Amino acid sequence: MRAFDVVTAKDSRHAVALLAEHAPTAKVIAGGTDLLADLKFSSHGPAMVVDISRVEDLKAITITDEGLSIGALVTHTAIMRSPIINDMFPALVHAAHTIGAVQTRNLGTLGGNLVTGVPSMDSGPTLMALEAIIVILSPAGRRQVPMAEFFLGPRKTVLKPDELLAEILIPKQNLGKPTHFLKFGLRKGQALALVSAAASVWVDVDTQICSAPRISLGAVAPTVIRAPKAEAHLDGRPLTADAMAEAGRIAASEAKPISDFRASAGYRRELVAVLTKRALEGAYELAKTKRRGA
Amino acid sequence: MANDDREKLSVSRRAFLKGGALATGALSSTLIPLGPAEGADRAPEATDLDPRRSKIELKVNGVAYRVDVPNTTTLATLLREELHLTGTKVGCDRMQCGACTVHVNGRSVYSCTVPAVDAAGTEVLTIEGLAKGDTLHPIQQAFVEHSGFQCGFCTSGQIMSTKALLDRNPQPTEDEARQALSGNLCRCSAYKKILESVMTASRLSRA
Repeated sequence: MRAFDVVTAKDSRHAVALLAEHAPTAKVIAGGTDLLADLKFSSHGPAMVVDISRVEDLKAITITDEGLSIGALVTHTAIMRSPIINDMFPALVHAAHTIGAVQTRNLGTLGGNLVTGVPSMDSGPTLMALEAIIVILSPAGRRQVPMAEFFLGPRKTVLKPDELLAEILIPKQNLGKPTHFLKFGLRKGQALALVSAAASVWVDVDTQICSAPRISLGAVAPTVIRAPKAEAHLDGRPLTADAMAEAGRIAASEAKPISDFRASAGYRRELVAVLTKRALEGAYELAKTKRRGA
Repeated sequence: MANDDREKLSVSRRAFLKGGALATGALSSTLIPLGPAEGADRAPEATDLDPRRSKIELKVNGVAYRVDVPNTTTLATLLREELHLTGTKVGCDRMQCGACTVHVNGRSVYSCTVPAVDAAGTEVLTIEGLAKGDTLHPIQQAFVEHSGFQCGFCTSGQIMSTKALLDRNPQPTEDEARQALSGNLCRCSAYKKILESVMTASRLSRA
């Protein structure tokens, strides 16, 4: 590892000030699970590391006027143990559970997972299917970016060097929306996703008519993506077995998977069709359960 | 009895290591054991001479230390090379194998991937902190009884992950135990014996 200076941020305001002072030579460290792996095996690195791991005001999970706010420094373990998230979005709990191992989830943060910008990130599809909004702080103030516009390409996001991802917001209209997430990896533990898929949908359980279906896919394009054609196929129609299977096939045609040593593009495309269908089925099941519970 | 011999052997090794750590501590200028009340909740400070080093205070197994290390130092390196607590092993050095598992403020982490500066002000528990004097911790006892290891390199990590599991869930199912230890690899593939050890440790810990 190349030597670097460390400055420790006391709160989010201090973190932004430190970034403004030291960008663009500075790197932000939170849980460190990605940054440290990069620094260790690389001969170049930042001259300065801004350590935000002690910034307490970015560690809260709260319901606000805008929706469900998850601080960027909330760990995957904290998501799994949050009563609010378990109640509203079991899919987020499940997605967090598929990340690394206990030790990784105890360190790694939700914001950290998103800023990596890798297409296989496990937190991505569920949040995108819930139309999450990324809240960014900088010396210029606070700006919000829809999740679907946050990623520019593999390992590229809209974040500028002096900007800090502060919060992930699930908008109010989606609180409690039935959502399901599935990841297919080569092992049960510590595997990268070959394909991941999430679906969120409101369903009138009497008529099966669905509205605002949202489908998001991971590891099958340069970034986590939505599948708008598959969504359009379902919107306003009954959520039948045939409709869900067809949405899966359409989603497969929207994906742009690559072949690599883990799987071929063709195999990934097949997985998209199956996982999309199953994610829709899972969200539908949840819609039915919620009504029974209500 | 073979078990008694093993216990004596492990005790004498531990006493040897403990003695080694204390002797080195007395000689090193950067390693200052502090009183038990100090060393809590302190952020790292840049050293006066070199901004690429930091002064860190932390507690390891109940003992407070003040060290001065390069910012590139990981917690695993700090434990092994500064504090000479070599029970924590470094296998892959990239967050996959789990040999370096320790607890920081009660949470299990890969110490190979925690910057030492982030451990400033924390309480760290390592494998050396489990036994009480000559009495093995029930989890250690269970691993000895079941031979929950072959070469033993991954064992301190397996035991620390087991402790993290049982602290939260004293009566796990086998499936829960498998999941909780999925971040700890065993190249000897002693998984069956490790799982037996965990289930016995659960019983012993409650006894």
